[in-house]
Amino acid sequence: MTSCPGVDCAQAPPDPTQLSEDAIRLLVDRFYAKVRQDEELGPIFAGAIAEDAWPAHLATMRDFWSSIMLTSGRYHGNPVAAHRPVEGITPALFERWLALFAETCAELFDQAIVAAFMDKARRIATSLQLALFYKPEHDRPRAAP
Amino acid sequence: MTFVVTENCIKCKYMDCVEVCPVDCFYEGENMLVIHPDECIDCGVCEPECPAEAIFADTEPGLEKWLKLNAEYAETWPNIAVKRAAPPDADAFNGTPDKFQYFSPAPGQGDGAEETQPTPPPEPAPQP
Repeated sequence: MTSCPGVDCAQAPPDPTQLSEDAIRLLVDRFYAKVRQDEELGPIFAGAIAEDAWPAHLATMRDFWSSIMLTSGRYHGNPVAAHRPVEGITPALFERWLALFAETCAELFDQAIVAAFMDKARRIATSLQLALFYKPEHDRPRAAP
Repeated sequence: MTFVVTENCIKCKYMDCVEVCPVDCFYEGENMLVIHPDECIDCGVCEPECPAEAIFADTEPGLEKWLKLNAEYAETWPNIAVKRAAPPDADAFNGTPDKFQYFSPAPGQGDGAEETQPTPPPEPAPQP
């Protein structure tokens, strides 16, 4: 079991076949505990989110995933703008993020719920990467000099 | 990639979508809503919420016309994130054919109706 300071990692969701606010809270807390300890993602997140801002960030992420998976409408924000100033963000880090997220989902939920989370996560990751990294001029052949 | 509002929203405008959208990317015309393609994060939460089944992923074929219309009017119509009552005849128009003839390019009221009040002039700077 991964050690997650401040998070009760031993706690499993009451029912791995049911999505609930409690289950999303557990997923988010456990996932970001892993992110912060991750060799690749840890330094990037540490640079973007100050130590004392983590409780608020976790609350925002619980609202985000609650809005995505339970359509609670609790999150209202602009994830593209939030990611733009992040130093060192790369497409490879999105892949690492997705792998860790899949791993955490699989610890807590059955296959159907993991698939539902990963469908959303992959769509959103692709969309964010298009917004952050896509340059339309790269699509067109260079004009002749 | 983005989701796109299509023909059956016209004159239905149920607005269930705007309440669930996490990134507030809906914009309101007089009788239709559109999605801002650069703000949508492709989460798809809105799609099953639409009673008129008018929202599709842009990966579906044949949506070029609607993608263009969404992109164009999202730039000028007001943002909407709070649902209001649907038009009284919304149900009567739900699913009727050839609704594009009713499309209005006029903006809707959006969330900020009260914000259209002119802002008071700034206080004069205090003299030193």
